[in-house]
Amino acid sequence: MLMLAGIVVLHITTIILLLVAAIDNAWWVKDSVSADLWGKWELTNSNMWHYTNLKDYPEDYLQAVQATSVLACVFTILALFVFVAQLFTLPKGMRFTFTGILQIIACLCIMTGASIYTAKLHVNESSGGYGHCYILAWISFVLTFILALTYFILRKKKE
Amino acid sequence: MLTFLALTSVALLGIVPEQSQAIVIYTGWERHALVGSDIRLSCSFFSWRWTSEDVTFSWTYRPDGSRDAISIFHYTGGAAYLDNKGPFRDRLEFVGNPGRRDGSILLKNLELSDNGTFTCDAKNPPDIVGRPSSVRLLVFEKVPIQAGVITGAIIGVVLGLLLLIVVIYYLMRFLVARRVFSLSVSKHGKKKKEGSQQRQIKV
Repeated sequence: MLMLAGIVVLHITTIILLLVAAIDNAWWVKDSVSADLWGKWELTNSNMWHYTNLKDYPEDYLQAVQATSVLACVFTILALFVFVAQLFTLPKGMRFTFTGILQIIACLCIMTGASIYTAKLHVNESSGGYGHCYILAWISFVLTFILALTYFILRKKKE
Repeated sequence: MLTFLALTSVALLGIVPEQSQAIVIYTGWERHALVGSDIRLSCSFFSWRWTSEDVTFSWTYRPDGSRDAISIFHYTGGAAYLDNKGPFRDRLEFVGNPGRRDGSILLKNLELSDNGTFTCDAKNPPDIVGRPSSVRLLVFEKVPIQAGVITGAIIGVVLGLLLLIVVIYYLMRFLVARRVFSLSVSKHGKKKKEGSQQRQIKV
């Protein structure tokens, strides 16, 4: 019972982290610029933040990162729903394979997205650093991996 | 009673022509446009009087972050005067109809430096008391995606896929129960295999 609650809480935490990483705007941060996967916030001379689109980014790589991060969110939310459904419908003693499959797909997606972002974007820029959303993306990769393993190993109670 | 009211209203209207009344000016609140496109900034007014021949429209522009506004357009005495020295030279066109209280201008070939506030001031003598109305222009290179759209897309896809999974699950159960498919699932397998054997014998 406790383990079940712990797994559900961990799964919900992973979902929240993934959503924040995909939607919030701090993948690459400089003094007056805060960029994410969808747009860039620039602080102008008159102390106003302007939201612009991302220019000078390699188009295809950016779209790949956008797609994989959205897919990772979708698959991990689906995995939660399927887990709850399988809790009721799975025969006793069986493993939660469908949930585990969805979760491992989410893990692969976010890993691909974050790797492409690291390798291909911002390679030549000297100033600025990675923001909190980038870090959250990698943390959620670890969490989804652990959860996927848990679902593959866990068995439904026999009694 | 009715005649009394009619007389009072006529008397009031008679007093009014000696004073000037407020004129109400309407423009948009905010306009979005892409770089290189054209945009029409509309301006119209409401006034209790007929549109006089001395009606004037004037547009001023204040760039984002600047405190000074420059005048870019003026219509008076039946003629329109466009900006020919400022940032909008050769890019401005008057597309309004002063007779119909429309003082709209057309900005062509927008640039990123055109971000700012445009103020329209209209006067319909003797109605000159009014507050000029401003419209904010935002110029984008490519309209960026907003966070709400992404969240909505994620939620929509999740719900759609959930619905699909539920439908497929119940469809499979329905089809298996009707013995259309013969699935060999551990405990239920024996019955299903017998059912399929029976059908083979009949055929």
